[in-house]
Amino acid sequence: MRFRAKIVDLACLNHFSRIINTIAKLAKTCILRLTVCKLYFILSDKVANGGASMWCELSQGNFFDEFQMEGVAAEHNEIYLELVPENLSRALKTAQNAKAVKIKLTNKHCPCLSVAVELPSLSSSSRIVTHDIPVGVIPRRMWNDFKEPSVPDFDVSIYLPALKTMKSVVERMKNLSNFIVIEANLSGEMNLKIETDLVSVTTHFKDLGNPPWASEDGCESNSQGRDLESMAEACIDIKKLQQLLAGQQVNPTKALCNIVRKRIVHFILLHEEVSLQYFIPAVA
Amino acid sequence: MKCVIGGAQLRVFGRAIHAIARISDEFWFDPIEKGSVLPVFRCVNVLERNVERCSISTNPSDHHITFQLLCRHGVVKTYNLTFQDCDPLQAVFARHMCPNILKVHSRLLADVMIHFPTSQEEITLSVTPMKVCFKSYTEEDTDFSRTMLTEIQLSPEEFDYFQVGVDSEVTFCLKELRGLLVFSEAASVPVSIHFDRCGRPIAFSIEDLLLEASFILATLCEAEKEAATPEPACCPRPWDSSRTGMDKSDQPSMDGARNADTATSKKPQQKGNTPSMISAKPSNALAKQEVKNIPRGSERDVPGRAGAAMAKAAGGKATEAPYEKFHSLFFGAVSYKEKETIGDNFQSLVTASDTEEEFGALQSSQVL
Repeated sequence: MRFRAKIVDLACLNHFSRIINTIAKLAKTCILRLTVCKLYFILSDKVANGGASMWCELSQGNFFDEFQMEGVAAEHNEIYLELVPENLSRALKTAQNAKAVKIKLTNKHCPCLSVAVELPSLSSSSRIVTHDIPVGVIPRRMWNDFKEPSVPDFDVSIYLPALKTMKSVVERMKNLSNFIVIEANLSGEMNLKIETDLVSVTTHFKDLGNPPWASEDGCESNSQGRDLESMAEACIDIKKLQQLLAGQQVNPTKALCNIVRKRIVHFILLHEEVSLQYFIPAVA
Repeated sequence: MKCVIGGAQLRVFGRAIHAIARISDEFWFDPIEKGSVLPVFRCVNVLERNVERCSISTNPSDHHITFQLLCRHGVVKTYNLTFQDCDPLQAVFARHMCPNILKVHSRLLADVMIHFPTSQEEITLSVTPMKVCFKSYTEEDTDFSRTMLTEIQLSPEEFDYFQVGVDSEVTFCLKELRGLLVFSEAASVPVSIHFDRCGRPIAFSIEDLLLEASFILATLCEAEKEAATPEPACCPRPWDSSRTGMDKSDQPSMDGARNADTATSKKPQQKGNTPSMISAKPSNALAKQEVKNIPRGSERDVPGRAGAAMAKAAGGKATEAPYEKFHSLFFGAVSYKEKETIGDNFQSLVTASDTEEEFGALQSSQVL
């Protein structure tokens, strides 16, 4: 099992760092899956994670100048590592003006991702900062736990309002309640609601638009015949939503959510080179 | 950590020194008399803008020290604090005897330390004539599967002065050092690092026209099996000559505690252990460090072992952390005219513990 990669371009490095920072805000521990073409950051929906799960996918070619990996076996040419994304975030934080960053899978005292940052210095030779981030190697037999989640059979799919606006609304609501209700309909309307003994607050968004989803048999999306005004709602943990919104450092190209009435809310945030899916289950 | 906060507070004070018009006394005071002095100088920016003068006076009989901040618009803030006498102790450390000397701008050190998490307590400095390396320190029983390790390699060319007489690897407390780094960055002066093999102290010093500061930290010595109860290092007191006994301050500053914060704050007797002496008469500033000659008898025996701590407990805590921790922070305002009387009394503040006999007659202002 081998892995080595190198980033030389500063813009790519900054972009990569931002993605890692976002992941670090969403998960204390997560799985890094490496394949020949892609990197995945995966959080499975175990109880320990509060039921929320995450799937983040990026193409290595968009970030790395060099990328070589050898998986556990020829027919399973993948590597699954468990790590603390905050460590990776920290290692990259001070690499803002690096000449190069190399990431390597090593085994010193234990399996590690070694991040070596080459920094400019006043002398002829560079400064090298090395961070050894401990990782856990996930054995092949457990790989099935980390499959890509399928898009749920949702009741409503709607584009999100401007994330900055949504974030400030949710942050204020967080002070009042632990749970928030997201509801939306197929007419581009969304409400965020909280309700406590003392107060209830609702923020209304409209003209958001509903993304067209082609159904599997190629027909038009099956919203025809459905009541376009009826709201599908789910009550979720407000902190999880706030973490998702707070972690976004760059505006995504597309941001939408799929609501399964009283079951789960599925957020999809798409950037040019990276896609992030986040599932927050509804509370009873 | 006393020194850390001291540094930050004294940074303010260093700036305030320029504005001091009148001081009634030279004295030692403990920057962190349980946090009571720090609040006086809390807001640095506000201080710089508003305070015109700072007058500090003491009332020894009453055990009161008064800080008066004379601010703009006729506002006068007066702080009355009580203090306790502290006993004079001495750090013994001869900087000029150190085979390894590095001199570097504080900016570089700050750039290096930024890569370590703020929670990183101890750091190892490893030098050979070819390279310098700072790395996170790990104990033997560290759980590596949970700990992120960081290492920075520098080339000797990055240092203003680089002398490595002996390859060495010394481990010391980073947290304590950060205060000095903040201070020296504010003062924008180079930092000199003097050290030796592991176990022997490491000194970080900065020097400026108006003040000089020195941090002397103990380093971890892995090879030594003997436990040492560290002797807290104190600065001598220039004006209180009545107390030269070391009765109170012989307490070990830690009982295996690795956290110097708790160590130094636990024992009330040790309040005087990290004094920072500000003697600030800008026009006639004299480093009046009338170091009293501490009678040898009152010190514990020094078996001549590495480490700036002067005492060793026989037996003691062999299994507990042998890490000696102490620190002393010396500040002095220096003028170019030194009176002879001062010169005579001016004993070396720091001499190597095991060469003290040789240095008995030597009078050199090592710290300054």
